[in-house]
Amino acid sequence: MKIPCYALLFFLFTLVSSAQKGTYLISTIKDSLKENANSVVRLDQMDIVIASQRSMNIKTQRVVSVLNEKGLNDIDAYQHYDKTTAIKNIEAVVYDAFGNEIKKIKRKDFRDQSAVSGSTLFSDSRVVYLDYTPISYPFTIVYTSETETSNTAFIPQWYFLGGYYLSIEKCVLNVAFPNDLGFKKKEFQFSGYNIKKTVDTDTRLSYEAVNISAQKAEDLSPSSRDLFPRIMMGLERFHLEGVDGAATNWTDFGKWYSDKILAGTTDLPESTKLKIKEVVGNEKDPVKKAKLVYDFVQKKSRYVSIQVGIGGWKPMLASDVDRLGYGDCKALSNYTKALLQVVDVPSYNTVLYGDRYKFDIQSDFVSMQGNHMILAIPTGNNYTFLECTSQDDPFGYQGTFTDDRDVLVVKPEGGEIIRTKIYEDRGNIQRDKAVYTIDENGHFSGSISILSEGSVYSKKMQLEHLQPTEKEAHYKEYWDNINNLKLGKVTFTNDKENIRFTEDINVTAANYGAISANKMIFVIDAFNQYTGSVKRIRNRKNPFQIQRGYLDTDEIEINLPTGFSIEFLPSNFELKNKFGEYKTEIIKSENNKLIYKRSMFLNKGKYSNKEYDEYRLFMEQVSRNDNAKIILTKN
Amino acid sequence: MKSIKFFRILFLFFIFFKTTAQEFKLGKVSVAELEQKVHPKDSSAAAAILYKKGKARVEYDTNDGFILVTQVDTRIKIYKKGGYDWANQGVVYYVGSNDSREKVDFSDVNTYNLVNGKIEKTKLKSDGVFNEEVNKYRSRKKITMPNVKEGSVLEFSYTVRSPNIGMMREWAFQTGIPVNYSEYATYIPEYFTFNVRQKGYIFPKVTSERNNKSIMINSKERSEGIGPTTTTFYTDKVDYMETETTYIAQDLPAMKEESYVNNIDNYTSSLEQELSMVKYPNSPMETFSTDWNSVAKTIYEYSDFGPELNKTGYFENDLKVLLAGVTKPEEKILIIFNHVKSNVKWNKYYGYSCEKGVRKAYQEKSGNVAEINLMLTAMLRYAGLTANPVLVSTRSNGIALFPNRTAFNYVIGAVETPEGNILLDATDNFSVPNVLPTRALNWYGRLIRKDGSSDEVALMPKKPSSDIVFMNYSVDADGKITGKAKRQCSDYNAMIFRGNISEQKEEAYLEKLENDNNKIEISEYSRANEKELLLPVSETYSFTGSNLCEKIGDKIYVSPMLFFADEKNPFNQETREYPVDFGFPFLDKYNITIKIPDGFEIETLPVPAAMNMEGDLGAFKFNIAASENTLQMSVSHQINEAIFSTEQYEMLKEYYKTMIAKESEKIVLKKI
Repeated sequence: MKIPCYALLFFLFTLVSSAQKGTYLISTIKDSLKENANSVVRLDQMDIVIASQRSMNIKTQRVVSVLNEKGLNDIDAYQHYDKTTAIKNIEAVVYDAFGNEIKKIKRKDFRDQSAVSGSTLFSDSRVVYLDYTPISYPFTIVYTSETETSNTAFIPQWYFLGGYYLSIEKCVLNVAFPNDLGFKKKEFQFSGYNIKKTVDTDTRLSYEAVNISAQKAEDLSPSSRDLFPRIMMGLERFHLEGVDGAATNWTDFGKWYSDKILAGTTDLPESTKLKIKEVVGNEKDPVKKAKLVYDFVQKKSRYVSIQVGIGGWKPMLASDVDRLGYGDCKALSNYTKALLQVVDVPSYNTVLYGDRYKFDIQSDFVSMQGNHMILAIPTGNNYTFLECTSQDDPFGYQGTFTDDRDVLVVKPEGGEIIRTKIYEDRGNIQRDKAVYTIDENGHFSGSISILSEGSVYSKKMQLEHLQPTEKEAHYKEYWDNINNLKLGKVTFTNDKENIRFTEDINVTAANYGAISANKMIFVIDAFNQYTGSVKRIRNRKNPFQIQRGYLDTDEIEINLPTGFSIEFLPSNFELKNKFGEYKTEIIKSENNKLIYKRSMFLNKGKYSNKEYDEYRLFMEQVSRNDNAKIILTKN
Repeated sequence: MKSIKFFRILFLFFIFFKTTAQEFKLGKVSVAELEQKVHPKDSSAAAAILYKKGKARVEYDTNDGFILVTQVDTRIKIYKKGGYDWANQGVVYYVGSNDSREKVDFSDVNTYNLVNGKIEKTKLKSDGVFNEEVNKYRSRKKITMPNVKEGSVLEFSYTVRSPNIGMMREWAFQTGIPVNYSEYATYIPEYFTFNVRQKGYIFPKVTSERNNKSIMINSKERSEGIGPTTTTFYTDKVDYMETETTYIAQDLPAMKEESYVNNIDNYTSSLEQELSMVKYPNSPMETFSTDWNSVAKTIYEYSDFGPELNKTGYFENDLKVLLAGVTKPEEKILIIFNHVKSNVKWNKYYGYSCEKGVRKAYQEKSGNVAEINLMLTAMLRYAGLTANPVLVSTRSNGIALFPNRTAFNYVIGAVETPEGNILLDATDNFSVPNVLPTRALNWYGRLIRKDGSSDEVALMPKKPSSDIVFMNYSVDADGKITGKAKRQCSDYNAMIFRGNISEQKEEAYLEKLENDNNKIEISEYSRANEKELLLPVSETYSFTGSNLCEKIGDKIYVSPMLFFADEKNPFNQETREYPVDFGFPFLDKYNITIKIPDGFEIETLPVPAAMNMEGDLGAFKFNIAASENTLQMSVSHQINEAIFSTEQYEMLKEYYKTMIAKESEKIVLKKI
């Protein structure tokens, strides 16, 4: 009975394609959707059919009218596949502005390529993507694909709006599922958008959204995950790369993870057990023991990412990491755990989103989440977290990649959501102590000691790895306010015990003081100017946020040239508001000496779009005052 | 011609090393190597290649005939964690077609560590070997070394077996880390001749010897007829001479990236080999490429090059309409150029060979570089012009230093006129005749005529591209500035400007312009000749700014060029390793009128100044004069050569330093 089936399919197909002709005319796009848009998504429809715990079929239909070259990225005509996810079909048809078909692109004309990306050494993931050269703009692409997978642990998140400078005419999501798998969903940021839930039964869920206008990207905005409407979906009974799972709460989920994913991965050879016992010696204190073990791992291993099949979730065996000396975040965390076990220090695999932008594991939505793993060691009522992929991080330091966010700590008795370490704004310190001398020709020579702590440390510790030419380039960029800068001796002190980084630097620069006629002018604050520029944004729409605050304090001693007297000295300055505090002070001391004191404190915080201009003006005043100049006259 | 001279100079400065061939064998790692804490000549090195030894041998295989087998042995020392990336290695190989499918194998992969004074060896097992199928043409074999620590010594060997002896790989003596010893040897039977090219600043020592070799060729003959079939086996022994050539270089410093470098590969010491001739016994000689003329001829004869130029049927009807009544050659050029540009879009693929062919590209309205520019050339010929293709090596491909087919990866068109060649590239929206996209601006190209003869064509522009600013503004008593500016860009500057503005919406462009220029507020913005590509493009706007001057006490300090002043010297490196490449010569010019506020007088004015670089390489002029409460100013900054050698770097750096100091001088206004 195959033939009638094909005939029917064919018939349906011709129906569909003839229906499409003339449907997607550029002229029918509303003006409001063209505003700020590089492309208009005419239809974005996903039909997810979960047939069973081990079978999910996804059909995608995406019709995008690309208005100009920048809109090309919004076509999104690509599909990943691997051993457990198969592409059943993929196709695209291109129409010109008037709805005439110009080109049909079949699967064989899509490019098929390995999806191994930057930091990954090897993975079995591949990608099929459309490589189309537009002949003219605007045009419309109708992209359809269908995939089939046995992994039901990840139901794709649904974004009604996929990005900036992109508008949506119509967006449809249909999900069908058996009523016994515990399907669940969570809606985010729906308010202000025209989104309708059209079906919501125990086997079906549907949404439809129409006419979402394009948004502009604005500096300091929260991530689009925290801004745009989206839906998370999941199953209480799911399947992952050959392993079934079931969980309704984090306790169960943690148990499943421990039993099915982590169990049996921490065996170590006897020789290694002996060695680590020897390393730890007679130490009794669990934290001190953990420090010794962490140091051992840092010296022994390196980060290499290999993701194949279940290996994308299950850590490599600790005995393999022991033999090979490498692994990814899961492997290295798990290896450290295995070693800690040997010396009777408990520790737990911890799943989270590793990113400079703080992003939480959604605590009220029990499911596989996160993109990174670290290790948690209980210390009293608290935890110390170890970043096992780093060979340089001090013990327990969380920098800016894993700090201040909700994470899932996986204990054998169950999972638990915990907040990681918060680096307080006033603890994110940069303290400068400096002296410089200006000679009668305006030449500059000086030295500075810069001490960094807290989240600032994570940026500074990387200086140690710079090659001499990179180091030179770094400081010439950092002090780009000093022209003709010449770098002298540079010494770094990395105090890992107290997590403190110190740079001691000598610099000289010709013509720092600008001489015109009998006057010399120069900027007093040579070493720590606020140079970041807060952009002027016309009609800001989004709220903004400062994720981490800091406190800079500077004290600079200035030796003025002999034979000059001060014609003008900037006055002391103070500024204080909800964003922070800023203060500068200049003290005239004996024999041609000045002391310049500056402090700048910035709060972290979330603010509304209305407050943005206020913030900009605050930073502008700081920047202007940092640029205050002294004027000397020749006697 | 300056640029070519410069490269000749490079060749005179070869560094020859006293070399004694060293006996290196994989497996013989010494305690001293493991104990070494820093590289003796470069203490900042995170890793170093202790030695690297390659052998490329053309040998006879009974099934495949002559094949190429390349074996590379490497020993690497890891000093710091930053060098761990060297523990991951990969070799890309070709899998596209059956008759040239390559095979790669790693062997002898070991990590050595010193443990309590003893050498510990960890062998790579199969779990550290990966084969990535990149796409249908290429695969990549990868390894990740086990047990790597600071201080480790890594060893590995790989063999590439290639059925196509024309695919001999480039051998780089230098890389991003220091190389202590690098040896490369080729073993070539007398039937083959390879051209050898060396580039970079450091040249290896070359020795060569001839060896007697022989091959056994087995064949069988079956005789059928009456009675049982008999098979007779023959073995023929063939004697031949093999030339063994060895190249040795030692103590090569790490390559370092610099700004304004065209392509660092141009300066990396390396060796390329290209098959130029095959002569089997009792067969005629087959030559491939020995000089630029034969390279050009060979390429011209490729079926996806020369013959594509002869096809005309697909465009004739269209051109007849377009060219009806047009007689002037320059008009014809423009009409055809614009026709191709607007009808056939570049699919971002390089190459001098057509993929789907000009006809299909024209129908589908998209194509690669060859399809677009060969089609263009064919149309120009059809219109009666003397048009020819010009082979080019793009910047990313490196300078075409030596004659060989792979030296080029791009093609443009040229029309010969009494005034010289007009170069055309229809792949870029904003390119115009004689203004090529930056990717194609790379020293010299090779023009090929119908008869196969060819000529060198200079690609680097001679004419400076201008960027001219007219600005007048007034300062008020609070230091606020209100004014108007017009900026006009020609040639390359115009192409870059058009490319820039096409990438963003006007509002986003203005927001950036405002923020980049000290947060001025812009109004009455307009552009002229945005689409008239042959004319200079310009933008005009009014602006106000409250951050542009400083009011200190009762004085106002004005930086007269406002946001147009160059503030930072792009050449701040103390020493320079490679030439500076600006891409094209240029002239920046500013005409500025300044009105000072009532109640103020001029206290100090910058002094006019002028300077010239030696050899007329560049000139800076700064003039300012006051009449009552108006100031007139004119500044020009002209760079006459696209490329500056390292010897000229100090001069260039000083020039920029002086210019920036002058441009940052202030006008001081005093309250009366």
